[in-house]
Amino acid sequence: MTTAPPADKNGNETGKKARFPSLAPVHSLLAGWAGLALWLLLLLLLALYPYTGVSSLALLVGSQIFVLVTLASNWNLIGGMTGYVDFGHAVFFGVGAYIMAILVTGAPLLISPQWGFWQALPASGAAAALFALLIGLPTLRLKGPYFSIAMLGTLVAMREIVRVSRPITGGGIGLNLPPVLNRIGDYYLMLAIMGLVVSLIWWIQRSEFGQSLIAIREDEVGAEMRGINTTLHKIAAFMIAAFFTGIVGGFWAWQNTFIDPDGVFVETRTVEMVMMSMLGGLGTVWGPPLGAVAIYLLQNLLWSNLFELHLLALGVLLVLIVLFMPEGILGTLGDRSSTSLGRLLARFGRNR
Amino acid sequence: MDQLSQALVSGLLLGGFYAIMVLGFSVIWGVMGVINLAHGEFLMIGAYLAWGLFRFFGIDPFASLALILPLMFLVGYLLQITLINRIVERPHLMTLLVTFGVSIALANLAKIVFTSDPRNVAVAYSGSFQFAGVTFPIVKTIIFAAALLIMGSLHLFLQRSRLGKSIRAAAQNKTAARIVGVDINRVYAITAGICIALTAAAGAMLSPTQAIFPFMGPPFTLKAVTITALGGLGRIPGALMGGLVLGVTEIFVATYVAGIGTNLGVATSFILLVLILVVRPQGLMGGLRPVDAEAD
Amino acid sequence: MAIENANGLPPSTPMASDQQPLLEGRTVSKYFGGLAAVNNVDFAVYPGEIVGLIGPNGSGKTTLFDCLSRLQKIDGGKITFKGRDVTRARPYQVARMGLSRTFQSVRVYRKMTVLRNMLISHQWRNTSLLHMLRPSPASTARRAHQLLDFLQIEHLAHEDAGHLSGGQRRLLEIGMALMPDPEILLLDEATSGVNPTLIETIKDRIRTLNQQGKTFLLIEHNINFIADLCSRVYVLNYGEKLAEGTPQEILQNEAVIDAYFGA
Repeated sequence: MTTAPPADKNGNETGKKARFPSLAPVHSLLAGWAGLALWLLLLLLLALYPYTGVSSLALLVGSQIFVLVTLASNWNLIGGMTGYVDFGHAVFFGVGAYIMAILVTGAPLLISPQWGFWQALPASGAAAALFALLIGLPTLRLKGPYFSIAMLGTLVAMREIVRVSRPITGGGIGLNLPPVLNRIGDYYLMLAIMGLVVSLIWWIQRSEFGQSLIAIREDEVGAEMRGINTTLHKIAAFMIAAFFTGIVGGFWAWQNTFIDPDGVFVETRTVEMVMMSMLGGLGTVWGPPLGAVAIYLLQNLLWSNLFELHLLALGVLLVLIVLFMPEGILGTLGDRSSTSLGRLLARFGRNR
Repeated sequence: MDQLSQALVSGLLLGGFYAIMVLGFSVIWGVMGVINLAHGEFLMIGAYLAWGLFRFFGIDPFASLALILPLMFLVGYLLQITLINRIVERPHLMTLLVTFGVSIALANLAKIVFTSDPRNVAVAYSGSFQFAGVTFPIVKTIIFAAALLIMGSLHLFLQRSRLGKSIRAAAQNKTAARIVGVDINRVYAITAGICIALTAAAGAMLSPTQAIFPFMGPPFTLKAVTITALGGLGRIPGALMGGLVLGVTEIFVATYVAGIGTNLGVATSFILLVLILVVRPQGLMGGLRPVDAEAD
Repeated sequence: MAIENANGLPPSTPMASDQQPLLEGRTVSKYFGGLAAVNNVDFAVYPGEIVGLIGPNGSGKTTLFDCLSRLQKIDGGKITFKGRDVTRARPYQVARMGLSRTFQSVRVYRKMTVLRNMLISHQWRNTSLLHMLRPSPASTARRAHQLLDFLQIEHLAHEDAGHLSGGQRRLLEIGMALMPDPEILLLDEATSGVNPTLIETIKDRIRTLNQQGKTFLLIEHNINFIADLCSRVYVLNYGEKLAEGTPQEILQNEAVIDAYFGA
């Protein structure tokens, strides 16, 4: 049973020629300043979009897409670049959402005066990052599937703990936030956060820090032996990813005005993040945002046509992507910075 | 002292259920190297089947096993030849992602079919009896006995029957098994059939003791991982041991952590799991790799 | 020592007592379960030496390497590097102190280009946070190109490391080990799977580097390679030190011949 890792398969994987070699220069440009310039241009266009007199629904859709893009990019930092496939990343979303709710309502802990949204938002990110530190210290020592399962466990356990801690979290009943309807404000806030996060990922990917993360993904022992403090770098990446996920969680709680354990600590949200990153291309800068938009459109299509079936379809879709499109959109188009799922898989291999 | 012996008995009874619940998960992992994250969902399906048979045909949950076992064997068999055979022997992450997808799909399918209202199976014998000053809930005692019975027969099957030996051979050395003429794909399909049927049976037996709802699965999957880490892979005695340890731990937490302890089952099991994996990555019994399905 | 070097001969053993060992292990032991993979091995490498480590398969050579480079926790004994006790140090810490190693099964970052592999293996000792948040500086790139040139794989700089042949990967790995300008290099079977021409290249490069003051510790199966390069050789068998001495002494040692060819 303990057969050697499929070395030959590995060779095929890496030896395979890119399917669209003519696109190679485009890819290398996108990873550089040109990519960032295009991204900033897109941000500018999106910032001007509300001035075209769109409906408030369009603004809501916009901010929802921005949420997904941010989540996917964040997950990609730990799951795609560092190679730690986090099945419980939604836990940071939940922590952020709850910190936001607890701080702005102030009620459960009788914190007074209640915090404003602008103080609570960074606090929810910071709380998520702190939580990532606590959780990451033990779990990031686990390898491959054990890390994934431990994080899934974190998510389910947190849901349970939040449900039980009624005095602080309102238990299973959840918490109501003050309803403030500000679609245009939401739109710009999420646009800013998304712009920041994706640009940050772009920056990280170029930096030595980002390269060290990729090195950890490719060969953690080798990276450690060549002077990289792998523990520190993993924790840092994990905390950054958690910080922005927490912020998005906080924002989501604010926008949604109601949260409960089953609404924020849900596996489907993790699945979304994994799928968006994977569909776009793990470990690339532009893949996860692309994947996020694709999943949103797909979901909307499913949502309107199949209504209740859409979560079912989400699960089926995950299976199909893994089986038939493991390299993602960008990987399929031959982006070299994309790690194919196959590579990641081979690394996790069976040699524990 | 009374409280202690009561907690111990309740823990052991729960542990018996956990042992039977984990078997399917543990054997699939041990034999095929597939970590089945949809494990809890098959349990959930078993519970719903038992509920349906009880509600509409008045069949007792334990009697309904006679129907559920063959039906779910077929489901497992078909699932194996259509889907899981594609991911067997592939890296763990792939199997994780695929089974994670299956788990989400099944839970939401159940939500569509059965709605998310909790269902109950109210059997007539849901009471309890006293013995030596300790309360024994009747249903849980029956589950415990049934668990021992099923594990015993599975043990015999794997040790004695020709098919059982093939399964063990496939678990130990796939290539060698193939060379001596074992049809691996068929063996895997039968293994999956048995495991899924067992898991669903555990769910059916569970149905009288707790509410049934579409999203009940993941906690069981996690507990299954913990028990496997505790007791080792694919071993029946290990499953029993791991199940008992987790059961007793959980009940002790529920008994001695005031107020909120009863609802911390997953958290307890999660902390246990992370502790084990961090301290001993190979699992407590050193078996977290595909080993002989019947090492002891 | 100065005279010996002037003669072009490797420094002989044992070293003068005033010389401190660069890397030293005292009664190093490592057990796997009940099995002693390394048992009470005493061990010292002096600055400027090329020391060989040989032994039959499974004799504990690589385990000893793992212990010395801190990838394995040791169960007994003490390891000092540059006079400092590193028994409990982490691998990245000894790496930053100036110890580099390669691996028996080559470890390169397959999805990164050869150049990026080199860049990320730079000396991390004084890398500030600000430095880490930037792309690799031009000085690092210059050094990477020089080393690639030195190892004759410059033409592959923009190839993915996963696309290289086994021998090329070994060279790349040696290059990565050289990037931080280490004081000692531990090479684990640098010649296995490498064609004879490349072996000569590697041998030549090791000699050049040694003349520049780098210390080497080599695990080898290729006896000629050892005999040509090393001033001293340790022989391990069943995790214990069987013999030590010059290559000539070792090749005539009865116990060593027994261990290799069976009595």
